[in-house]
Formats: sequence, structure tokens, C-alpha cells
Amino acid sequence: MTDAWVWLLVVNTVTLSSPLVLAALGGLCSERSGVINIALEGLMLTAACVTATVGVVTGSALLGLAAGVGAAIVMSLLHALLTQAFSIDHIVSGMAINALAIGGTNFLAKSLADVSQEKAPVFDVKLYWALAIVAVVWIAFYLGRTRGGLHLTAVGNDPDKSRQMGLDPVKVRYLALVGTGVLAGLAGTLILSNAQSFSDGMTGGRGFIALAALILGGWRPWHALGACVLFGLFSALQIQLQGQPILGLDVPSDAWTALPYLVTIIALAGFLGRNRPPSGLGRP
Amino acid sequence: MKAFGWKQVALTVAAFGFVALTLIAVGVMPGEAAMELVRGSMGTKNAWNETLKLTTPLLIAGLAVFIALRAGLFNIGAEGQLLVGGLCGTVVALNVEGVLGTVLACLAGLVAGGLWALPAGLIKAYRNGHEVITTIMLNNIAAALVAGLVAGPLRQEGMSTSTEVVAESTWLPSLYENVPFRLNIALVGALLLVWGVAVWIKRTVAGYELSATGANPKAAATAGVEVKRVTVRAMTVSGALSGLAGAVQVLAYEHNFYVGFSSGFGFDALGVALLAGGSPWGAIPSALLFGALSKGTTSIQVLGVPKGLSGILLGVIIIVFAAYRYRRVKSHD
Repeated sequence: MTDAWVWLLVVNTVTLSSPLVLAALGGLCSERSGVINIALEGLMLTAACVTATVGVVTGSALLGLAAGVGAAIVMSLLHALLTQAFSIDHIVSGMAINALAIGGTNFLAKSLADVSQEKAPVFDVKLYWALAIVAVVWIAFYLGRTRGGLHLTAVGNDPDKSRQMGLDPVKVRYLALVGTGVLAGLAGTLILSNAQSFSDGMTGGRGFIALAALILGGWRPWHALGACVLFGLFSALQIQLQGQPILGLDVPSDAWTALPYLVTIIALAGFLGRNRPPSGLGRP
Repeated sequence: MKAFGWKQVALTVAAFGFVALTLIAVGVMPGEAAMELVRGSMGTKNAWNETLKLTTPLLIAGLAVFIALRAGLFNIGAEGQLLVGGLCGTVVALNVEGVLGTVLACLAGLVAGGLWALPAGLIKAYRNGHEVITTIMLNNIAAALVAGLVAGPLRQEGMSTSTEVVAESTWLPSLYENVPFRLNIALVGALLLVWGVAVWIKRTVAGYELSATGANPKAAATAGVEVKRVTVRAMTVSGALSGLAGAVQVLAYEHNFYVGFSSGFGFDALGVALLAGGSPWGAIPSALLFGALSKGTTSIQVLGVPKGLSGILLGVIIIVFAAYRYRRVKSHD
């Protein structure tokens, strides 16, 4: 355990947890307003693909980022439309959006320009790290200390009572899902920045891990941050300990791959804190 | 109340308009693509053979997801259960020959799939942890597990990621052959399974409890249904059928297990179950549709349409169907 090894572990942890933080906060916006969101994965994948495509075509990192986040907002609003205006089950809508994203990104990446072959212009990942921290601070403040944040929580906890307060839950949720689109979109463009070029399914289920971190963190911003860092640490350990014997045993690499998922299940079983979702989650 | 309103019609038009536009964007006329889709999936004997081959696991896994959905649970874990069931079925069939091997392999698939889904059911019932996340995590663990086993202890000599081929005496036979078309007994078995599930849901107490819990868990609890036990049972039975789908896939078509053995059957199964509507019989046309789409979108690639079209179609079909279906459910009130 040299200093260099520990330093690498820290850098890897930050690299691996930062997309989770942004995505989990995106999920938080949505779920605290009462909309179950398993579409995070699709939003991230969409953002990564559109950013790569627009970036390669225009050569501009800024245009790429704007287009990617914009596309994630559109997909997020589609989730809002389907769940609110059409009353489709939130899980069904999320599944459909994920399917659209997986198919659509493959379609886009193969048809317009073969972007998977080229490096897209991207911003430095440290910018995203800063954004992730700012987002946690701001969302914690917004939810707890501002009128808008209290409205959001009220709608998520009890849509019927919030209606009697004179709020329009549907309107609040549309706004919350714009926030989800921005944050999940940033998470997707960050994943692209780390990899530099787009590949099919490159988000690799991290939208679901982020959702698990959100649940593990009890739908609270700082706790969710902690859970994301924990998952990031597990993945970083997996990379650095792969192929090394632990206590004299050879641990296969697939066991390391499965570890973060196993931790998530143990967390969901309630052995690492309580499970208390917003009480209005999934209600009309 | 009307069966549907202008909103649903507008959504349908927008959704299919979107698909048409994406096709035009890659320089393919939508009509031409649709023709190729039908020709590629049902135009020739070979096309039918492939379509029905894909329909079999989709039908069994679709029924599995249907049962969970009936109890108000989303079993997104069908893919993982199918992989575990397929692998365990292979291991049994490698060690036991003959019809006994076939039967034991199917049982192994059932048990493995059921056990793999059990934690999700228990966590949902007793710890209030959402089954969607647990089953997705179990999928990822299953993928890592089978990859590790197939690359390690179960590896076939000279191959990197597949097991030995199981003895021919354990294979599920074809009932009718008109080369290249083969009708495997597995599809007939799957159809019988639909009948079995229909009877189970309609005519037994357990099936009735399942529907009652799915319709309104609070009312079911008041009426004396042990909702927690029903939840665990629904998830386990669902997992068992998914596992069976995996084992049958090995015995009927693949004859060994390898990484990438399932082309996402477990995920398409959710679409099959959603489109099946309120009755298990609905799973038959729905599985056939997804089988045809899956085969058709492969052959449509010759026109220069990326394979992502299947994902887009899956999303669009689910959205449109869900928009109409919910409306119907609501109009019963």
C-alpha cells in the first residue's frame, strides 16, 4: 500500500463516483416530486450519444454538451408526459424510454456518422467533478430552505394535500423532470468525457446503480452522495485489486464485478439503513 | 367513458410517425422496411423456423413476467433467472443422459430460476425494497456469475466461453420437420404451459390470491389474503418459469451454454407480458409478434437499417399499448 496506490484509489473513486452523483441527484429531483424514475440509464445514454455525435460533427465541445443535455431533457419530459398526461405506469414508461434510448443511440451512432470510431471534443472531467459538488450543495439547500423545494417535497409526499394547498402537482413534476434531464444529461456527458468516444450501451447500468445509491441514501442529497462515493470506492477497489490474491485466495475478476451489485442488494434489504421512500411515489 | 380519446390517437400517430422519420433519415422508405420486416420474419420456411425458435423462450419467459405482473410486481430479472436456469440445466444435462436428463435439467432450470428470484420477492415483501432495482442487480450478478463459470470450471476444452455440448439423448426433439423448417416440441410445451397458467390463475385459490393482491393489496389483506406470502410466491414462480425458459432453450435449440446465449429474451419478455394484457392467452400472439420483430429487424439490416430499430420499436409499442390499456382499466371504474 504505497502512497501512489492510495492516490490512484482516490482518483479512481472520484472518477467512478462522479457520474453516479450527478445521476443520483437527477433521480432525486424526479422521485422527491413523486415520479419513479428508472429511465435515468436511458437519459444518460442518450446524452452521451448525442454529445458525441454533435461534438464530432461540429467539432465543438460546448455545442456537444448543450445538445446532449438538451436531448436528455427532452427524454425526461417524455417520461413526465407519459406518466402525468397519459397516466402510464412509471416503471413501464421508464422501461420504454430505456428501450428507446438503447435502440435510438445505436441508430444515431450508426447512421449519421460512425461516431464510435472518432474521439469527440469534450470538457475536462474536473469541471464535472466541481459541478457535482455544487449540485449537491445547491439541491440540499433548495429542497430544505426554499419555497420551490418545499413545494417539490410536498407534491412528492402527498399530491392530494398539495392540491388543497393550491399547488399544481403536474406542473411541479414537469419542472422537476427538467432538473432530472439536466443532471442525468450531465452524468451521461461525463461518462463520454471519461471514455472520449461513444460505444453501444456505454453507461453500463450505472443509471440503475445511481438509483440504488439514491434509495440507499434515503432520498436525501448528502446521504446519496455518500452512497455514490461508497459504490465508486467499491468499483475502484475492484479495478486495483483485480488479479491480486486476497488472504492467499485467487479471487476471479467476475466476483469483483458482481460485488457492487451485491452490496446494493444488501442495502435494499434494509441492512444498511432504513427504506423510506417519499410517500407519494408513483401516485397520480 | 370512451375506450380512448384524441390524446391516445395523437400519441399513436406521433410514435409511429417518429419511427417512419427515423427510417427516412437513413434513406429507407417505411413501407419498404415494413415489407422486409414481414418477409424476413414470415416470408420463407427458414424465416418461420427462426421466428418460432425465438418465440419459444419469449413465450415461456413472457408468461413468467406475466405472473409477477398479475401480482403487481415487475420482474425485470427474467434475463438473469433465464441465464442461471440455462446454465444449471446444462450442468444437469451434461451429467445425466436420456429422458431422465431432460426432465431433471428442466427441473434444475425451474429451481435455479426460482431461487434466483427469491431474494427479490423476500426483500419486496418484508423489507419494502423495490423489486425493480433488486432484480436488475440480480441480473448483473447472474451475468458475472455465468461468465465466470463458463470461462472457468465449466469451460469446454479449446473454447474460451462455452460449455461442452450436452448428450443428444437429452435434446428436446422436433415434432415436425420440413427442412429448413422444424417445429420443436418445446413450442408445444410452451403452449400447454399457457393453458396451465390460465387454469392456475382462473381456477385455483393461489391464482385468485395473486390477482387480488395485484389489483389492490390493501383490499386483499383485509379479505384475509397473506399479501407478503403471495408476493414471495409470485416472484418465485415467475423466476422458476424464467429459469425453465433458459433450460428449454439449451435442450431444444442451443445444446450448450455460452456467454451471449440469451439475446435479451428476459427484457423482451417484459414487453411480451405487457402486451399480453389481462390474460395469459394474450402472451401467444404477443410472443409471436416479438419473435417476428426480433427476426425481422435482423434481416432488415441488409437495407442499411441499424439493429437499434428493434429497441425503438419495442419502446414505441410499449408506450402506445400502455396508453390505451390504462385508459380501458380506468373506464371500468
